[in-house]
Amino acid sequence: MTDTTNTAPTANQQLKEAYFTASQGQLIWQRFKRNKSALAGAWVLIILILSGIFSPFLTPYDATIAGRDKGYLNGAPQVPSFCDDNGCSIRPFVYTYERSRSFKTNFRWVSEEKTELEDRRYLTFFSKGMEYKFLGISFDRHLYGVDKGMIHIFGTDSTGKDIYSRTLTAVNTSMAVGTIGVLIAFFLALAIGGISGYYGGKVDSVLQMLTDTVRTIPNIPLFMALAAFVPDTWSSEERFFFISIVLGLIGWTTLARRIRTHLLSERNQEYVLAAQLCGASPAHVIRRHLLPSFTSYIIVDLVISFPYMILSETALSFIGLGLKDPVNSLGVMLQNVTSADVLLNYQWYFIPVIFFIVLVLAFVFVGDGLRDAADPYADTNK
Amino acid sequence: MLQFSKFFATRAMLAILTLVMVSFIVFSLMELVPGDCAERYVAFKNSQGSVITPEDIQIERVRLGLDQPYIQRWVSWIINAFQGEYGDSCILRVDIAQLLGQKFWLSLGLCLSALLLAYVIAIPVGIIAATSKNAVLNNSLRLVSYLGLALPNFLLALMIMLFSTVYFGDSLTGLFSKEYRDAAWSMDRVMDFLGHAWLPIFILGWSATAFAIQTVRALMSDEIGKLYVTAAAARGVSGRRLLMRYPARHALSPIINSVGFDLNRIFNELPIVALILTLTEAGSLLIEALARSNDQQLAGAIIFMLTASIVALNFVTDIILALTDPRIRRSILG
Repeated sequence: MTDTTNTAPTANQQLKEAYFTASQGQLIWQRFKRNKSALAGAWVLIILILSGIFSPFLTPYDATIAGRDKGYLNGAPQVPSFCDDNGCSIRPFVYTYERSRSFKTNFRWVSEEKTELEDRRYLTFFSKGMEYKFLGISFDRHLYGVDKGMIHIFGTDSTGKDIYSRTLTAVNTSMAVGTIGVLIAFFLALAIGGISGYYGGKVDSVLQMLTDTVRTIPNIPLFMALAAFVPDTWSSEERFFFISIVLGLIGWTTLARRIRTHLLSERNQEYVLAAQLCGASPAHVIRRHLLPSFTSYIIVDLVISFPYMILSETALSFIGLGLKDPVNSLGVMLQNVTSADVLLNYQWYFIPVIFFIVLVLAFVFVGDGLRDAADPYADTNK
Repeated sequence: MLQFSKFFATRAMLAILTLVMVSFIVFSLMELVPGDCAERYVAFKNSQGSVITPEDIQIERVRLGLDQPYIQRWVSWIINAFQGEYGDSCILRVDIAQLLGQKFWLSLGLCLSALLLAYVIAIPVGIIAATSKNAVLNNSLRLVSYLGLALPNFLLALMIMLFSTVYFGDSLTGLFSKEYRDAAWSMDRVMDFLGHAWLPIFILGWSATAFAIQTVRALMSDEIGKLYVTAAAARGVSGRRLLMRYPARHALSPIINSVGFDLNRIFNELPIVALILTLTEAGSLLIEALARSNDQQLAGAIIFMLTASIVALNFVTDIILALTDPRIRRSILG
């Protein structure tokens, strides 16, 4: 084909060719890109996940008690500025705070801002700080810091821990709990739903009853009962894995049901019969022929079930049965806002709540967008 | 008729079987909780100053029947549970049936009202969302139902409570005013209850409504594109009549089918909302039993009663569906 004489038809043809030979993934991506809100949600999600993963670098201080600022308890967020009455500076700075209490402050500890020139704390980037391990290598550089003292852009909590550091670490923890939970739920759903749908008949009836039984027990009370076993002597890591496993063990039913319904309708198709006649084993037929027919649906379902895992973790931690304080999870952060004192005096405790809502919303938007994109008839219906 | 009674019998048997399986799971869970009733009781005596020995624990175990094999204890527990006898609470040392009493029915009432609220709002709104071509309306409905998911009930409850405490001086908590808390049921007490119950019902219904709107919308938009709807439209049926007589009927039957599980979802939220709003009903007792005192007898009884109500509701909706839909009657297991 000569592309000098008729470029326009060729380009057109190439487009058509590309459309007809596109893999399912490419088609889904094309449809997904057109959905603006889902795309925005995906960006937010990617940013949040990355900032969770790189939280040791992005946060200036350790999120546990080791990184506390003794001189700045319940401190308000410090916003870096460039100018004040003493003139401007190229480098942004915050002020030094001094804690005091007196009759004037009703004997509450309050932090007083010292705005003199020598009290400025200048922002530094890639500054040296507490050592942390990432991918097994020790680092001590953090994205930002100040030249003397500490900086808290989201303020501090009652023990002086930096809320910004805690929030990013919490996003990471909650995502990790969700990931482990979703993975366990996914394998259970695949195994149970797959067997149930492939064999049908009696096997299906028995497994369906099992699924319905698990679905009948109210989740949160069940979580609570399971979490109540956790002895107080367990370390926070053990507790963390236990909670993730529990979330996974209970969350598989919806996906299992969906896989089963799909397999039930799909197993009588000719291509399955052909594979069986060729002597393929059931496991092979399920894995190589049936599952690929709805991989996209499974992925969509996993994304959709993610926020539920995070919500369950939050609810559990919120009532004090999930993760506990040395671990930072979104549930632990939300637990901190439960008093009128916080609402009246320490509103910056609510910053993690915003992160939580944005995270869940982003997941819901992406999940919905993926669901619409994965539907091959979405275009023809409209 | 014969077909229907056969369906009824199979369903009833399945319901009881499910309940027995659930009871086994619940009972096993309660067994796994570290320590048993005897130890707890003796520990309580110890805290009162009397000296105790391992023999005392053993005697107490024999008295409570805890020395019998696991399966045997489960069988006697389940037989008693079906008769409404749950034994004594480990910690509080009172009869559980008496302790729970009307508290459980209050909780069930709250959840059912929330469920009703959710569907009264969700069915019309969901149908409108599915049929309307108005982008602004659709997007705003979508945002509201997303928020229903992203703003969990406990957070909402907390916000409302804190704001009302701070700005109105009334915490809006509890289910009764002080003077009615232990009074007998009377007209005044009912009014007082309703005056307090709207908030938990609203909060419990909040995410349920959002969820139900999504479901109704999805089911409706699936049905609307089908050929029978086009055919009906071609025959000259239009407007609301078309929607109500054709797609809505089909779209709503899976919803009726899942009402039991919706109740389950609302029950899930109840303990946490109860904790925040300090409701004195079964949800808060459950938290108390599980999180604070490890009272396995009480927790087991509450979870069993919850699941029994869910199974019962599932059974009732199955029967209603079978009455209205002959296809379901024919498929006995389906």
